[in-house]
Amino acid sequence: MILELKDYLDDMKRCARCSLCKWPPLAQIKSWRFSNNCPSIARYNFHSYSGGGRMALGLALAEGRLDTITDELLNIVYRCTACGACDSSCKYNSELELLWPIYSTRAHLAGMGHFLPEHSMIIDSLRKEDNTMMQPKADRGKWAEGLDVKDLSKGEKAEVVYHAGCLYCYDPELSAIARDTVLLLKEAGVDVGIRGSQETCCGSTAFQLGFQGEFIKFAESNIDDWNAAGVARVVTSCACGFGIMKSVYPLLGKEMKFEVLHITQYLDELLKQSKLKFSRSFPARVTYHDPCNLGRKAETYVPWKGQDKKVLGQFILREPEKIVHRGWNGIYEPPRDIIRSVPGIQLVEMERIMEYSWCCGAGSGVKQTMNDLALWIASERIEEAKSVGSEAIVTACPWCEQNLKDAIKEAGGNLMVYDIVELARQAL
Amino acid sequence: MALRRDIYRLFENVVGPENMSDDPAVLRSYMYQPFGAKEGVWADISPAAVIMPSSTEEVVAIAKICNRYGIVFKAMSTGWGMHNLPGVEGAVSLDLRRMNRILEIDEKNMYAVVEPHVICVQLQVEAMKKGLNCHIIGAGSNTSVLASATSVVGYGPDGLSMGFSGRNLLGVEWVLPTGDVLKLGSLGADSGWFCGDGPGPSLRGIMRGWEGAWGGLGVFTKCAVKLFHWNGPPELEMKRTPPNYVLKEPIKFFKVALFSFPTIEKLAEAALQLGEAEIGWFVSRLSPSFVGLQMASGANYVATWNTGMLQEMLKYAFLFVIFANSEREFDYQQKVLAQILEDTGGQTSPISEAKEMQELTSTAVIKVDEVTRSCFRTTGGFNTSFGAMDTVDLAMNQIKAGRELKDKYISKGVLMDDGGDNSATLVFDQGHLAYTEMLLMYDHHDRGSAEGAYQYLAESNRAMLDKKLGTPIFQVSQVGKGKHGTFGPACFNYDKWLRKIKREFDPNNTCDPTAYASPEE
Repeated sequence: MILELKDYLDDMKRCARCSLCKWPPLAQIKSWRFSNNCPSIARYNFHSYSGGGRMALGLALAEGRLDTITDELLNIVYRCTACGACDSSCKYNSELELLWPIYSTRAHLAGMGHFLPEHSMIIDSLRKEDNTMMQPKADRGKWAEGLDVKDLSKGEKAEVVYHAGCLYCYDPELSAIARDTVLLLKEAGVDVGIRGSQETCCGSTAFQLGFQGEFIKFAESNIDDWNAAGVARVVTSCACGFGIMKSVYPLLGKEMKFEVLHITQYLDELLKQSKLKFSRSFPARVTYHDPCNLGRKAETYVPWKGQDKKVLGQFILREPEKIVHRGWNGIYEPPRDIIRSVPGIQLVEMERIMEYSWCCGAGSGVKQTMNDLALWIASERIEEAKSVGSEAIVTACPWCEQNLKDAIKEAGGNLMVYDIVELARQAL
Repeated sequence: MALRRDIYRLFENVVGPENMSDDPAVLRSYMYQPFGAKEGVWADISPAAVIMPSSTEEVVAIAKICNRYGIVFKAMSTGWGMHNLPGVEGAVSLDLRRMNRILEIDEKNMYAVVEPHVICVQLQVEAMKKGLNCHIIGAGSNTSVLASATSVVGYGPDGLSMGFSGRNLLGVEWVLPTGDVLKLGSLGADSGWFCGDGPGPSLRGIMRGWEGAWGGLGVFTKCAVKLFHWNGPPELEMKRTPPNYVLKEPIKFFKVALFSFPTIEKLAEAALQLGEAEIGWFVSRLSPSFVGLQMASGANYVATWNTGMLQEMLKYAFLFVIFANSEREFDYQQKVLAQILEDTGGQTSPISEAKEMQELTSTAVIKVDEVTRSCFRTTGGFNTSFGAMDTVDLAMNQIKAGRELKDKYISKGVLMDDGGDNSATLVFDQGHLAYTEMLLMYDHHDRGSAEGAYQYLAESNRAMLDKKLGTPIFQVSQVGKGKHGTFGPACFNYDKWLRKIKREFDPNNTCDPTAYASPEE
């Protein structure tokens, strides 16, 4: 198992309770209005709902200091998109893990049979239909019907496999983006294929909800399938899928004979190689929303295994030196470079970007299980986009796109939301 | 001790069910407080419930319920440290997080009105847009503006030019322990927020005295604080030099420098002269360890420390910042500084002019964003000892006493070896006052280290008495009931006055006295 609460005891014991997890890195705060970074505490206010509060609860569970698992405890644990903003802010000043203890707390609880009823439906769907959308497995490949593209599950060979992901496969409004992605790649001369109805979930939601057995099953199966298909690259336009493949799959210890790319990385590469060229103008002032899983959560996680050694009296030195994942090495510039390549477009930045970006609200099953919270979080992002005079938000994840669109629909207004692939197709 | 359900419902009616909880998980998360815990991270006493009011009216209603039913309450803002939690069974915690608005920034009269949960950096970024800045305490810009102004100490190294929180306090809205609302200063005469001492009542001394009542005298729901001229850009753009965020562009007429001196006395003399000359924007004594701990990697710190380079270069050093309004003033301040350095044997540290040092330190002195890194990262456990807001001489005497005592405990291996002298900070209020405290790092999850740290703290408290060094600033709030009885007789029986104030303002002893003063002797 890769999520063990006991592995993070030292981190949970050494939280300073300084509350840096509640704000963006202090030097990056630009206004009072957008000075929250954690959607969960911003919405629910109790300290318990912050990164530090969750560290305390993780430690209390590990030490047996909480006798009963209450509904409120489950609320605290799951009313969180696991966006990782707390983790990035904390690590500006520390070398502690924060997000992984949060995951591990969920795994600890799920292992004891404690989770929300809505999670059962998601996991049941995953077990029975290989997707988290509660849709039939047989319909998974329908999004690509009529598309002239190789199907690797039928024995065809391609250099690149495009992994659409559950939401693109099953959401009729969003599946056009998946089709556009394949068309873009083909226009650039990429030898691309898909796995049609044999494609399965990446396991991201299962992992983030703490169902690590299910996650491992799907992750290992995907790695085996892609290895067997002999592809050199796995490309996805779902940031959640990319994040889990990039940051967590390597921990399973299986050889991955392929490179994992998000579509923004690939498109950026194709543009820079002049294999794609934008010629149509898109005269708009847009802003870019960094999906958490493409940004701060996209660094390959290397769990620290070693020993604490006391030096200088009581200084705790970790040997070997710990790799600190601060989220600074996410995929930040490729999507921005793509947007900047579109003629006539003006890219303006919001206040909270990159490793301290505000989450869209959809992650970690929140969109499926607590839509009100997801919409509230998205509404905050929409206000931020408006505050910089943006006419549209461009993003690079179907969950972000869907949730931001839903929030705009609910609140009214004419702010547009585009997937970056949609933008690229329009600009060709 | 659980709250009676009927009383719970009374509170709930005030704030709404979503803003109150006595769920064990919620309460447990509030009990996690490493700063001030004797060993480990858990408080011994759980709040009976956590209540989150959103307005003065709600705080009043809560205080009145508490008085009616004999429930003790204790308010917190950002809540960093054990002193924020109730120290008695059955008490309720008031988490003021929902009271987080900047109500006004009066550009012309240079003040801001804030609620309790506005943190320093939030106010700073809004003030800078109007050419103003605010004082930030040494604990960092992640702390409440109002808390340090009304309730807890309030020193910060920018105090050389921007005073300290207690002095910067103007009009105040105060919900007394009884639930009555008292408005202080000009606010008390319906004349706005501009003055703390009139034309309405000035109770500055009673309200906070020198170091604050630590939440033991009711709830301060709004206050105005003085703002200061900011000659830099309205928004400070940062760049990434991993793992730090640093200023993208240097600020005009802003210069950071590290100076070292042959002795601590010479350092003190230089600081005093800087104050008397009324130059400088920021000054802080920095121990070799404190400087070294700005490094992101613990391993790098240990390797560097073991070379002895930091100890050699920075044994008696301070960080000094000039921030002038014009080239002429900048030149003038540099000339005065050069003269002071010549008089006191001060030398510019070799690392002072390095670009990285300039970038990193310029950002850190403005944003005060790296305190956790320096204080908590090394061992997890942190505390502070001694402590003065008095004369430079007293500060120096405390440093000497602290160094001697700490060396003993470092030799025993129970504290982190930071060179012994890890005293922070220096003169403020243009030099006529000086602040110090002696930091200590220990492993709070290691019984031997934790017990050793508390033996050191007890001994340091005794040293304060024996050597006539005043009252230890933070320890008074941590030692618990009876602490003032120890220090009072040595300090003009100040404790009797605190108890009288407590009895007068809190006749039912409804507001938790643990970190302040109990009404009885």
